[in-house]
Amino acid sequence: MKIFKKILIYTLLGTIVIIMIFPFVWMVINSFNSEGSILKIPPKIIPDKLFKKDMFENYITVLRDYNFLRYTLNSFIVTSLASLGQIFTCSMAGFAFARMRFRGKNVVFALLLSTMMIPVQVTIIPEFILMMKLGWLDTFAPLIIPSFLVGSFGTFMYKEFFENIPRDLEDAATIDGAGPLSMFLRIFFPLSTVQTITLFIIAFMNNWNDLLRPILYLHSTKLMTVTMALTQFQSEYRVRWSWLLTGAVLSILPLLIVYITLQRFVIEGITHTGLKG
Amino acid sequence: MQEKRSTIFRPYHAWLFLIPALLGLSVFRLGPMVAAFILSFTSWDILVKSKWIGLNNFKELFGDPIFRGVIINTFEFSLIYVIGVMIFGLLLAVIVNSKVKGVTFFRAAYFTPVVTSAVAVGIVWNWLLSPHYGLVNVVLENVFKLSPPAWLGERSTALIVVAAVQLWKMSGYYMILFLAGLQDIPRVYYEAAQIDGASKWHSFWKITLPLLSPTTFFVFTIAIIDSFKNFEIIYTMTKGGPSSATTTLVYSVYVNAFIFYRMGYASAVAYILLIVIGMITIINFILKKYWVKYQY
Repeated sequence: MKIFKKILIYTLLGTIVIIMIFPFVWMVINSFNSEGSILKIPPKIIPDKLFKKDMFENYITVLRDYNFLRYTLNSFIVTSLASLGQIFTCSMAGFAFARMRFRGKNVVFALLLSTMMIPVQVTIIPEFILMMKLGWLDTFAPLIIPSFLVGSFGTFMYKEFFENIPRDLEDAATIDGAGPLSMFLRIFFPLSTVQTITLFIIAFMNNWNDLLRPILYLHSTKLMTVTMALTQFQSEYRVRWSWLLTGAVLSILPLLIVYITLQRFVIEGITHTGLKG
Repeated sequence: MQEKRSTIFRPYHAWLFLIPALLGLSVFRLGPMVAAFILSFTSWDILVKSKWIGLNNFKELFGDPIFRGVIINTFEFSLIYVIGVMIFGLLLAVIVNSKVKGVTFFRAAYFTPVVTSAVAVGIVWNWLLSPHYGLVNVVLENVFKLSPPAWLGERSTALIVVAAVQLWKMSGYYMILFLAGLQDIPRVYYEAAQIDGASKWHSFWKITLPLLSPTTFFVFTIAIIDSFKNFEIIYTMTKGGPSSATTTLVYSVYVNAFIFYRMGYASAVAYILLIVIGMITIINFILKKYWVKYQY
Protein backbone atom coordinates (compact mmCIF):
# COMPACT_ATOMS: atom_id res chain seq x y z
CA MET A 1 0.00 0.00 0.00
CA LYS A 2 2.73 2.43 1.02
CA ILE A 3 4.93 1.56 -1.93
CA PHE A 4 1.97 1.78 -4.30
CA LYS A 5 1.23 5.29 -3.07
CA LYS A 6 4.83 6.35 -3.56
CA ILE A 7 4.86 5.08 -7.12
CA LEU A 8 1.65 6.98 -7.80
CA ILE A 9 3.06 10.25 -6.44
CA TYR A 10 6.31 9.96 -8.39
CA THR A 11 4.43 9.11 -11.58
CA LEU A 12 2.32 12.20 -11.10
CA LEU A 13 5.32 14.40 -10.26
CA GLY A 14 7.20 13.04 -13.26
CA THR A 15 4.34 13.55 -15.71
CA ILE A 16 3.96 17.17 -14.66
CA VAL A 17 7.71 17.78 -14.96
CA ILE A 18 7.52 16.60 -18.54
CA ILE A 19 4.62 18.97 -19.26
CA MET A 20 6.40 21.93 -17.66
CA ILE A 21 9.94 21.36 -18.90
CA PHE A 22 9.53 19.56 -22.21
CA PRO A 23 9.00 22.68 -24.38
CA PHE A 24 12.31 24.09 -23.13
CA VAL A 25 14.17 20.81 -23.56
CA TRP A 26 12.78 20.45 -27.06
CA MET A 27 13.87 24.00 -27.82
CA VAL A 28 17.43 23.37 -26.60
CA ILE A 29 17.63 20.09 -28.56
CA ASN A 30 16.52 21.80 -31.74
CA SER A 31 18.96 24.65 -31.34
CA PHE A 32 21.53 22.01 -32.39
CA ASN A 33 19.57 21.13 -35.51
CA SER A 34 19.98 22.46 -39.01
CA GLU A 35 16.91 24.11 -40.48
CA GLY A 36 16.26 21.13 -42.72
CA SER A 37 16.06 18.63 -39.93
CA ILE A 38 13.93 20.85 -37.68
CA LEU A 39 11.17 20.58 -40.25
CA LYS A 40 11.47 16.81 -40.67
CA ILE A 41 8.47 14.61 -39.98
CA PRO A 42 8.72 12.53 -37.86
CA PRO A 43 10.87 14.88 -35.73
CA LYS A 44 14.42 13.80 -34.97
CA ILE A 45 15.13 13.24 -31.31
CA ILE A 46 18.90 13.44 -31.78
CA PRO A 47 19.77 16.71 -33.53
CA ASP A 48 21.99 16.40 -36.59
CA LYS A 49 24.70 18.83 -35.43
CA LEU A 50 25.18 17.35 -31.98
CA PHE A 51 28.87 16.56 -31.36
CA LYS A 52 29.77 17.45 -34.95
CA LYS A 53 32.34 20.13 -35.65
CA ASP A 54 29.65 22.66 -36.60
CA MET A 55 27.70 21.89 -33.42
CA PHE A 56 27.51 25.53 -32.30
CA GLU A 57 26.90 26.98 -35.76
CA ASN A 58 23.42 28.28 -34.86
CA TYR A 59 24.78 29.89 -31.71
CA ILE A 60 27.66 31.55 -33.57
CA THR A 61 25.32 32.86 -36.25
CA VAL A 62 22.88 34.32 -33.73
CA LEU A 63 25.49 35.75 -31.36
CA ARG A 64 27.78 37.23 -34.00
CA ASP A 65 25.85 37.82 -37.21
CA TYR A 66 22.62 38.77 -35.47
CA ASN A 67 24.31 40.70 -32.65
CA PHE A 68 22.76 38.81 -29.75
CA LEU A 69 25.96 39.25 -27.78
CA ARG A 70 25.40 43.00 -27.91
CA TYR A 71 21.70 42.68 -26.98
CA THR A 72 22.53 40.46 -24.02
CA LEU A 73 25.04 43.02 -22.81
CA ASN A 74 22.40 45.77 -23.19
CA SER A 75 19.95 43.73 -21.16
CA PHE A 76 22.57 43.26 -18.47
CA ILE A 77 23.24 46.99 -18.22
CA VAL A 78 19.58 48.02 -18.13
CA THR A 79 18.45 45.22 -15.85
CA SER A 80 21.27 45.55 -13.31
CA LEU A 81 20.89 49.30 -12.94
CA ALA A 82 17.10 49.08 -12.61
CA SER A 83 17.34 46.30 -10.05
CA LEU A 84 20.01 48.03 -7.96
CA GLY A 85 17.80 51.11 -8.06
CA GLN A 86 14.87 49.16 -6.70
CA ILE A 87 17.01 47.98 -3.80
CA PHE A 88 18.00 51.59 -3.09
CA THR A 89 14.45 52.96 -3.27
CA CYS A 90 12.64 50.08 -1.56
CA SER A 91 15.06 49.55 1.31
CA MET A 92 14.93 53.22 2.30
CA ALA A 93 11.14 53.39 1.98
CA GLY A 94 10.69 50.11 3.85
CA PHE A 95 12.92 51.43 6.63
CA ALA A 96 10.88 54.61 6.97
CA PHE A 97 7.57 52.73 7.03
CA ALA A 98 8.84 50.20 9.56
CA ARG A 99 10.74 52.30 12.06
CA MET A 100 9.45 55.86 11.90
CA ARG A 101 6.24 57.56 12.90
CA PHE A 102 4.90 60.32 10.69
CA ARG A 103 1.63 61.74 9.56
CA GLY A 104 0.08 60.23 6.43
CA LYS A 105 2.09 57.02 6.73
CA ASN A 106 -0.88 54.72 6.17
CA VAL A 107 -2.17 56.71 3.23
CA VAL A 108 1.20 56.72 1.46
CA PHE A 109 1.68 53.02 2.10
CA ALA A 110 -1.82 52.16 0.86
CA LEU A 111 -1.25 54.22 -2.29
CA LEU A 112 2.05 52.48 -2.92
CA LEU A 113 0.49 49.03 -2.62
CA SER A 114 -2.73 49.73 -4.51
CA THR A 115 -1.05 51.28 -7.53
CA MET A 116 0.81 48.02 -7.93
CA MET A 117 -2.38 46.40 -9.18
CA ILE A 118 -2.72 48.74 -12.10
CA PRO A 119 -1.43 47.40 -15.41
CA VAL A 120 1.37 49.50 -16.89
CA GLN A 121 -0.79 50.15 -19.97
CA VAL A 122 -2.92 52.54 -17.92
CA THR A 123 0.01 54.87 -17.22
CA ILE A 124 2.21 54.22 -20.23
CA ILE A 125 0.82 56.94 -22.53
CA PRO A 126 1.57 59.90 -20.22
CA GLU A 127 4.86 58.23 -19.32
CA PHE A 128 5.76 58.04 -23.00
CA ILE A 129 4.90 61.70 -23.48
CA LEU A 130 7.04 62.61 -20.47
CA MET A 131 10.01 60.66 -21.81
CA MET A 132 9.54 62.31 -25.19
CA LYS A 133 9.49 65.81 -23.62
CA LEU A 134 12.62 64.98 -21.64
CA GLY A 135 14.33 63.91 -24.85
CA TRP A 136 14.98 60.45 -23.46
CA LEU A 137 13.59 58.46 -26.38
CA ASP A 138 16.07 55.97 -27.74
CA THR A 139 18.17 55.91 -24.58
CA PHE A 140 18.29 53.44 -21.71
CA ALA A 141 16.91 56.00 -19.24
CA PRO A 142 13.18 55.25 -19.74
CA LEU A 143 13.87 51.56 -19.22
CA ILE A 144 15.81 52.14 -16.02
CA ILE A 145 14.27 55.09 -14.20
CA PRO A 146 10.61 54.01 -13.77
CA SER A 147 11.72 50.64 -12.48
CA PHE A 148 14.42 52.28 -10.33
CA LEU A 149 11.88 54.40 -8.47
CA VAL A 150 8.76 52.22 -8.30
CA GLY A 151 8.81 49.05 -6.24
CA SER A 152 5.80 48.14 -4.14
CA PHE A 153 6.79 44.52 -3.64
CA GLY A 154 10.27 45.38 -2.40
CA THR A 155 9.05 48.11 -0.08
CA PHE A 156 6.56 45.70 1.43
CA MET A 157 9.21 43.04 1.92
CA TYR A 158 11.73 45.37 3.56
CA LYS A 159 9.03 46.87 5.78
CA GLU A 160 8.02 43.45 7.07
CA PHE A 161 11.64 42.59 7.79
CA PHE A 162 12.67 45.86 9.46
CA GLU A 163 9.56 45.83 11.65
CA ASN A 164 10.69 42.62 13.29
CA ILE A 165 14.10 43.88 14.35
CA PRO A 166 14.14 44.46 18.13
CA ARG A 167 13.96 48.03 19.32
CA ASP A 168 17.00 47.47 21.56
CA LEU A 169 19.26 47.42 18.54
CA GLU A 170 18.02 50.86 17.55
CA ASP A 171 18.51 52.20 21.10
CA ALA A 172 22.02 50.77 21.35
CA ALA A 173 22.97 52.46 18.10
CA THR A 174 21.53 55.73 19.33
CA ILE A 175 23.63 55.55 22.47
CA ASP A 176 26.70 54.98 20.30
CA GLY A 177 25.83 58.25 18.59
CA ALA A 178 24.51 56.94 15.28
CA GLY A 179 22.30 59.28 13.26
CA PRO A 180 19.35 58.05 11.16
CA LEU A 181 21.41 57.56 8.02
CA SER A 182 24.31 55.72 9.62
CA MET A 183 21.85 53.59 11.57
CA PHE A 184 20.25 52.54 8.29
CA LEU A 185 23.49 52.05 6.39
CA ARG A 186 25.56 50.37 9.11
CA ILE A 187 22.98 48.36 11.04
CA PHE A 188 19.64 47.80 9.35
CA PHE A 189 20.57 47.45 5.68
CA PRO A 190 23.43 44.95 6.28
CA LEU A 191 21.01 42.76 8.26
CA SER A 192 18.67 42.45 5.30
CA THR A 193 20.93 40.46 2.95
CA VAL A 194 18.29 37.82 2.26
CA GLN A 195 15.67 40.44 1.37
CA THR A 196 18.16 42.28 -0.80
CA ILE A 197 19.14 39.18 -2.76
CA THR A 198 15.49 38.16 -3.17
CA LEU A 199 14.46 41.58 -4.43
CA PHE A 200 17.44 41.76 -6.76
CA ILE A 201 16.56 38.44 -8.39
CA ILE A 202 12.87 39.20 -8.74
CA ALA A 203 13.50 42.71 -10.07
CA PHE A 204 16.15 41.30 -12.39
CA MET A 205 13.68 38.82 -13.87
CA ASN A 206 10.91 41.37 -14.29
CA ASN A 207 13.20 43.85 -16.01
CA TRP A 208 14.92 41.27 -18.16
CA ASN A 209 11.56 40.05 -19.43
CA ASP A 210 10.01 43.48 -19.93
CA LEU A 211 8.84 44.03 -23.46
CA LEU A 212 6.52 47.03 -23.65
CA ARG A 213 9.02 49.71 -22.62
CA PRO A 214 11.83 48.52 -24.92
CA ILE A 215 9.55 48.39 -27.96
CA LEU A 216 8.18 51.85 -27.22
CA TYR A 217 11.39 53.62 -26.31
CA LEU A 218 14.16 52.03 -28.35
CA HIS A 219 14.61 52.55 -32.08
CA SER A 220 18.32 52.03 -32.69
CA THR A 221 19.22 48.43 -33.32
CA LYS A 222 22.37 48.74 -31.23
CA LEU A 223 20.39 49.60 -28.09
CA MET A 224 17.86 46.75 -28.18
CA THR A 225 17.48 44.46 -25.18
CA VAL A 226 17.60 40.76 -25.80
CA THR A 227 13.88 40.24 -25.12
CA MET A 228 12.95 42.94 -27.60
CA ALA A 229 15.52 41.70 -30.11
CA LEU A 230 13.87 38.32 -30.05
CA THR A 231 10.51 39.77 -31.12
CA GLN A 232 12.18 41.77 -33.89
CA PHE A 233 14.06 38.68 -34.94
CA GLN A 234 10.76 36.80 -35.07
CA SER A 235 9.24 39.21 -37.58
CA GLU A 236 12.24 39.16 -39.93
CA TYR A 237 11.40 37.21 -43.05
CA ARG A 238 14.87 35.69 -43.50
CA VAL A 239 14.84 34.15 -40.09
CA ARG A 240 14.76 30.41 -39.66
CA TRP A 241 13.28 28.43 -36.79
CA SER A 242 16.71 27.05 -35.89
CA TRP A 243 18.03 30.58 -35.32
CA LEU A 244 14.91 31.82 -33.59
CA LEU A 245 14.94 28.93 -31.13
CA THR A 246 18.66 29.46 -30.54
CA GLY A 247 17.93 33.13 -29.84
CA ALA A 248 15.19 32.13 -27.40
CA VAL A 249 17.60 29.78 -25.60
CA LEU A 250 20.20 32.54 -25.39
CA SER A 251 17.67 35.07 -24.08
CA ILE A 252 16.58 32.89 -21.18
CA LEU A 253 19.95 31.33 -20.37
CA PRO A 254 21.21 34.12 -18.05
CA LEU A 255 17.90 34.07 -16.18
CA LEU A 256 17.91 30.32 -15.82
CA ILE A 257 21.43 30.37 -14.44
CA VAL A 258 20.47 33.00 -11.87
CA TYR A 259 17.28 31.11 -11.03
CA ILE A 260 18.90 27.71 -10.67
CA THR A 261 21.68 28.97 -8.39
CA LEU A 262 19.43 31.16 -6.24
CA GLN A 263 16.03 29.48 -6.56
CA ARG A 264 15.45 29.11 -2.84
CA PHE A 265 15.46 32.91 -2.48
CA VAL A 266 12.90 33.31 -5.27
CA ILE A 267 10.52 30.69 -3.98
CA GLU A 268 10.83 31.72 -0.33
CA GLY A 269 10.47 35.39 -1.16
CA ILE A 270 7.21 34.75 -2.98
CA THR A 271 5.98 32.35 -0.29
CA HIS A 272 6.45 34.93 2.44
CA THR A 273 5.07 37.99 0.74
CA GLY A 274 2.85 36.47 -1.90
CA LEU A 275 3.98 38.96 -4.49
CA LYS A 276 6.32 39.03 -7.37
CA GLY A 277 6.79 42.61 -8.42
CA MET B 1 -0.08 48.28 24.53
CA GLN B 2 2.76 49.52 22.45
CA GLU B 3 5.44 51.04 24.61
CA LYS B 4 6.42 54.54 23.77
CA ARG B 5 10.09 55.21 24.00
CA SER B 6 11.78 58.28 22.68
CA THR B 7 13.28 57.82 19.26
CA ILE B 8 15.90 59.78 17.41
CA PHE B 9 13.73 59.78 14.29
CA ARG B 10 11.89 62.98 13.51
CA PRO B 11 9.02 62.97 10.98
CA TYR B 12 11.14 64.81 8.42
CA HIS B 13 13.65 61.95 8.49
CA ALA B 14 10.90 59.68 7.20
CA TRP B 15 10.13 62.01 4.30
CA LEU B 16 13.83 62.17 3.43
CA PHE B 17 14.03 58.38 3.28
CA LEU B 18 10.88 58.33 1.18
CA ILE B 19 12.08 60.81 -1.47
CA PRO B 20 12.89 58.23 -4.19
CA ALA B 21 9.73 56.20 -3.57
CA LEU B 22 7.50 59.28 -3.52
CA LEU B 23 9.13 60.60 -6.67
CA GLY B 24 8.40 57.28 -8.37
CA LEU B 25 4.86 57.13 -7.04
CA SER B 26 3.96 60.63 -8.19
CA VAL B 27 5.84 60.80 -11.49
CA PHE B 28 5.25 57.27 -12.77
CA ARG B 29 2.00 56.17 -11.14
CA LEU B 30 -0.35 58.85 -9.76
CA GLY B 31 0.62 61.64 -12.16
CA PRO B 32 0.17 59.53 -15.29
CA MET B 33 -3.18 58.26 -13.97
CA VAL B 34 -4.47 61.80 -13.72
CA ALA B 35 -2.94 62.71 -17.07
CA ALA B 36 -4.47 59.66 -18.77
CA PHE B 37 -7.87 60.64 -17.37
CA ILE B 38 -7.61 64.12 -18.89
CA LEU B 39 -6.21 62.75 -22.16
CA SER B 40 -9.20 60.45 -22.51
CA PHE B 41 -11.36 63.51 -23.25
CA THR B 42 -9.11 64.71 -26.04
CA SER B 43 -8.20 63.85 -29.57
CA TRP B 44 -4.45 63.84 -30.10
CA ASP B 45 -2.01 62.21 -32.51
CA ILE B 46 1.21 63.54 -30.84
CA LEU B 47 2.16 65.73 -33.83
CA VAL B 48 -0.52 68.45 -33.77
CA LYS B 49 -2.01 70.11 -30.73
CA SER B 50 -4.52 68.08 -28.74
CA LYS B 51 -8.20 68.96 -29.00
CA TRP B 52 -10.85 68.69 -26.24
CA ILE B 53 -13.68 66.50 -27.51
CA GLY B 54 -15.54 65.70 -24.29
CA LEU B 55 -17.04 62.25 -24.13
CA ASN B 56 -16.63 61.51 -27.83
CA ASN B 57 -13.91 58.89 -27.31
CA PHE B 58 -16.15 56.94 -24.97
CA LYS B 59 -19.15 57.31 -27.31
CA GLU B 60 -17.07 56.00 -30.18
CA LEU B 61 -15.82 53.09 -28.09
CA PHE B 62 -19.24 51.91 -27.05
CA GLY B 63 -20.60 52.19 -30.57
CA ASP B 64 -17.75 50.18 -32.03
CA PRO B 65 -18.44 46.45 -32.58
CA ILE B 66 -14.67 45.73 -32.65
CA PHE B 67 -14.33 47.24 -29.19
CA ARG B 68 -17.22 45.13 -27.94
CA GLY B 69 -15.23 42.16 -29.22
CA VAL B 70 -12.17 43.41 -27.32
CA ILE B 71 -14.16 43.51 -24.08
CA ILE B 72 -15.48 40.00 -24.68
CA ASN B 73 -11.95 38.76 -25.48
CA THR B 74 -10.63 40.33 -22.29
CA PHE B 75 -13.23 38.61 -20.14
CA GLU B 76 -12.84 35.31 -21.96
CA PHE B 77 -9.07 35.40 -21.46
CA SER B 78 -9.48 36.30 -17.78
CA LEU B 79 -12.07 33.59 -17.21
CA ILE B 80 -9.90 30.84 -18.70
CA TYR B 81 -6.82 32.15 -16.92
CA VAL B 82 -8.33 32.67 -13.47
CA ILE B 83 -10.23 29.37 -13.34
CA GLY B 84 -7.22 27.56 -14.78
CA VAL B 85 -4.57 28.92 -12.42
CA MET B 86 -6.83 28.42 -9.39
CA ILE B 87 -7.43 24.76 -10.21
CA PHE B 88 -3.96 23.87 -11.46
CA GLY B 89 -2.23 25.98 -8.83
CA LEU B 90 -4.05 24.19 -6.02
CA LEU B 91 -3.59 20.80 -7.65
CA LEU B 92 0.15 21.33 -8.06
CA ALA B 93 0.43 22.68 -4.51
CA VAL B 94 -1.31 19.62 -3.06
CA ILE B 95 0.99 17.33 -5.04
CA VAL B 96 4.25 19.10 -4.12
CA ASN B 97 3.10 19.34 -0.49
CA SER B 98 3.48 15.58 -0.12
CA LYS B 99 6.45 14.55 1.95
CA VAL B 100 8.49 12.52 -0.48
CA LYS B 101 12.19 12.70 -1.29
CA GLY B 102 13.21 15.19 -3.95
CA VAL B 103 9.99 17.17 -3.84
CA THR B 104 11.88 20.50 -3.72
CA PHE B 105 13.38 19.64 -7.09
CA PHE B 106 9.89 19.24 -8.54
CA ARG B 107 8.75 22.53 -7.00
CA ALA B 108 11.67 24.34 -8.60
CA ALA B 109 11.05 22.61 -11.93
CA TYR B 110 7.36 23.56 -12.03
CA PHE B 111 8.33 27.15 -11.36
CA THR B 112 10.73 27.38 -14.34
CA PRO B 113 8.18 28.66 -16.90
CA VAL B 114 7.33 31.52 -14.51
CA VAL B 115 10.93 32.70 -14.60
CA THR B 116 11.34 32.65 -18.37
CA SER B 117 10.12 35.53 -20.49
CA ALA B 118 6.70 35.48 -22.09
CA VAL B 119 8.49 36.22 -25.36
CA ALA B 120 10.58 33.04 -25.24
CA VAL B 121 7.56 31.04 -24.08
CA GLY B 122 5.45 32.49 -26.88
CA ILE B 123 8.05 31.62 -29.51
CA VAL B 124 8.41 28.04 -28.30
CA TRP B 125 4.66 27.46 -28.29
CA ASN B 126 4.24 29.18 -31.67
CA TRP B 127 6.65 26.64 -33.02
CA LEU B 128 5.09 23.65 -31.23
CA LEU B 129 1.63 24.71 -32.41
CA SER B 130 2.43 25.66 -35.99
CA PRO B 131 0.03 24.01 -38.42
CA HIS B 132 2.25 21.81 -40.59
CA TYR B 133 5.51 21.00 -38.85
CA GLY B 134 4.64 21.84 -35.21
CA LEU B 135 5.07 18.91 -32.85
CA VAL B 136 1.51 19.11 -31.49
CA ASN B 137 -0.15 18.73 -34.87
CA VAL B 138 2.41 16.22 -36.13
CA VAL B 139 1.57 13.97 -33.18
CA LEU B 140 -2.18 14.53 -33.49
CA GLU B 141 -2.13 13.80 -37.24
CA ASN B 142 0.24 10.89 -37.36
CA VAL B 143 -0.29 9.12 -34.06
CA PHE B 144 -3.94 9.84 -33.34
CA LYS B 145 -5.04 10.25 -36.98
CA LEU B 146 -6.93 13.45 -36.23
CA SER B 147 -7.22 16.60 -38.32
CA PRO B 148 -6.35 19.31 -35.78
CA PRO B 149 -7.06 23.02 -36.35
CA ALA B 150 -4.41 25.63 -37.13
CA TRP B 151 -4.67 26.72 -33.44
CA LEU B 152 -3.33 30.29 -33.64
CA GLY B 153 -4.49 30.84 -37.19
CA GLU B 154 -8.18 30.39 -36.51
CA ARG B 155 -10.56 32.83 -34.87
CA SER B 156 -12.32 30.12 -32.88
CA THR B 157 -9.22 28.67 -31.22
CA ALA B 158 -6.59 31.45 -31.09
CA LEU B 159 -7.72 33.16 -27.87
CA ILE B 160 -8.20 29.90 -25.99
CA VAL B 161 -4.72 28.75 -27.03
CA VAL B 162 -3.03 32.00 -25.99
CA ALA B 163 -4.82 31.95 -22.62
CA ALA B 164 -3.85 28.31 -22.15
CA VAL B 165 -0.18 29.07 -22.84
CA GLN B 166 -0.21 31.90 -20.30
CA LEU B 167 -1.93 29.52 -17.87
CA TRP B 168 0.78 26.93 -18.47
CA LYS B 169 3.47 29.56 -17.92
CA MET B 170 2.05 30.93 -14.66
CA SER B 171 0.57 27.93 -12.80
CA GLY B 172 3.86 27.33 -10.94
CA TYR B 173 3.54 30.76 -9.39
CA TYR B 174 0.07 30.00 -8.04
CA MET B 175 1.37 26.65 -6.82
CA ILE B 176 3.84 28.48 -4.56
CA LEU B 177 1.10 30.79 -3.24
CA PHE B 178 -1.21 27.87 -2.43
CA LEU B 179 1.66 25.88 -0.98
CA ALA B 180 2.34 28.63 1.57
CA GLY B 181 -1.34 28.44 2.62
CA LEU B 182 -1.34 24.67 2.84
CA GLN B 183 1.71 24.66 5.08
CA ASP B 184 0.00 27.09 7.45
CA ILE B 185 -2.78 24.63 8.28
CA PRO B 186 -1.87 22.98 11.60
CA ARG B 187 -1.32 19.24 11.38
CA VAL B 188 -3.46 18.59 14.48
CA TYR B 189 -6.67 19.03 12.48
CA TYR B 190 -5.69 16.21 10.14
CA GLU B 191 -4.62 14.01 13.00
CA ALA B 192 -7.94 14.56 14.78
CA ALA B 193 -9.85 13.78 11.58
CA GLN B 194 -7.79 10.65 11.10
CA ILE B 195 -8.66 9.44 14.60
CA ASP B 196 -12.33 10.06 13.82
CA GLY B 197 -11.90 7.81 10.80
CA ALA B 198 -12.21 10.44 8.08
CA SER B 199 -10.81 9.58 4.65
CA LYS B 200 -8.12 11.70 2.93
CA TRP B 201 -10.71 12.85 0.42
CA HIS B 202 -13.12 13.83 3.16
CA SER B 203 -10.54 15.79 5.14
CA PHE B 204 -9.51 17.64 1.97
CA TRP B 205 -13.07 18.95 1.53
CA LYS B 206 -13.86 19.48 5.20
CA ILE B 207 -10.52 20.74 6.52
CA THR B 208 -8.16 21.83 3.77
CA LEU B 209 -10.56 23.82 1.61
CA PRO B 210 -12.32 25.78 4.40
CA LEU B 211 -9.09 26.55 6.25
CA LEU B 212 -7.41 27.49 2.99
CA SER B 213 -10.13 29.99 2.08
CA PRO B 214 -8.20 33.13 3.19
CA THR B 215 -5.32 32.04 0.94
CA THR B 216 -7.76 31.18 -1.82
CA PHE B 217 -9.23 34.66 -1.58
CA PHE B 218 -5.79 36.26 -1.75
CA VAL B 219 -4.75 34.07 -4.69
CA PHE B 220 -8.03 34.78 -6.47
CA THR B 221 -7.49 38.53 -6.11
CA ILE B 222 -3.95 38.27 -7.47
CA ALA B 223 -5.10 35.99 -10.32
CA ILE B 224 -7.78 38.46 -11.44
CA ILE B 225 -5.34 41.36 -11.52
CA ASP B 226 -2.73 39.21 -13.24
CA SER B 227 -5.20 37.99 -15.85
CA PHE B 228 -5.34 41.44 -17.44
CA LYS B 229 -1.57 41.58 -17.88
CA ASN B 230 -1.34 39.61 -21.10
CA PHE B 231 0.38 42.05 -23.45
CA GLU B 232 3.66 40.17 -23.92
CA ILE B 233 2.18 36.79 -24.73
CA ILE B 234 -0.28 38.27 -27.24
CA TYR B 235 2.38 40.43 -28.86
CA THR B 236 4.61 37.41 -29.35
CA MET B 237 2.05 34.79 -30.32
CA THR B 238 -0.65 36.50 -32.38
CA LYS B 239 -0.19 40.31 -32.46
CA GLY B 240 -3.90 40.50 -31.59
CA GLY B 241 -5.01 38.52 -34.65
CA PRO B 242 -6.40 36.78 -36.58
CA SER B 243 -8.58 39.83 -37.31
CA SER B 244 -8.54 41.07 -33.68
CA ALA B 245 -9.73 37.72 -32.30
CA THR B 246 -7.05 37.91 -29.58
CA THR B 247 -7.01 41.67 -28.99
CA THR B 248 -7.60 42.38 -25.31
CA LEU B 249 -7.84 45.72 -23.49
CA VAL B 250 -4.12 46.02 -22.73
CA TYR B 251 -3.24 45.11 -26.30
CA SER B 252 -5.83 47.55 -27.61
CA VAL B 253 -4.21 50.38 -25.61
CA TYR B 254 -0.87 49.59 -27.24
CA VAL B 255 -2.27 49.36 -30.77
CA ASN B 256 -4.34 52.53 -30.57
CA ALA B 257 -1.63 54.59 -28.89
CA PHE B 258 1.54 53.41 -30.57
CA ILE B 259 0.46 52.00 -33.92
CA PHE B 260 -2.44 54.34 -34.79
CA TYR B 261 -1.16 57.26 -32.64
CA ARG B 262 -4.62 57.94 -31.20
CA MET B 263 -3.45 58.97 -27.74
CA GLY B 264 -6.81 60.26 -26.48
CA TYR B 265 -8.75 57.27 -27.73
CA ALA B 266 -6.18 54.85 -26.27
CA SER B 267 -6.35 56.68 -22.93
CA ALA B 268 -10.10 56.14 -22.92
CA VAL B 269 -9.48 52.41 -23.47
CA ALA B 270 -6.94 52.47 -20.63
CA TYR B 271 -9.50 54.04 -18.33
CA ILE B 272 -12.11 51.46 -19.19
CA LEU B 273 -9.49 48.86 -18.28
CA LEU B 274 -8.91 50.61 -14.96
CA ILE B 275 -12.65 50.78 -14.23
CA VAL B 276 -13.11 47.09 -15.08
CA ILE B 277 -10.28 46.07 -12.74
CA GLY B 278 -11.55 48.38 -10.00
CA MET B 279 -15.10 47.05 -10.25
CA ILE B 280 -14.07 43.40 -10.20
CA THR B 281 -11.80 44.00 -7.21
CA ILE B 282 -14.63 45.71 -5.29
CA ILE B 283 -17.13 42.93 -6.10
CA ASN B 284 -14.54 40.40 -5.02
CA PHE B 285 -14.12 42.10 -1.65
CA ILE B 286 -17.90 42.36 -1.13
CA LEU B 287 -18.40 38.66 -1.84
CA LYS B 288 -15.51 37.76 0.44
CA LYS B 289 -17.57 37.47 3.62
CA TYR B 290 -19.77 34.75 2.12
CA TRP B 291 -17.07 32.20 1.51
CA VAL B 292 -13.89 33.11 3.36
CA LYS B 293 -13.56 31.53 6.80
CA TYR B 294 -10.81 32.52 9.20
CA GLN B 295 -9.15 30.01 11.45
CA TYR B 296 -8.99 32.26 14.50
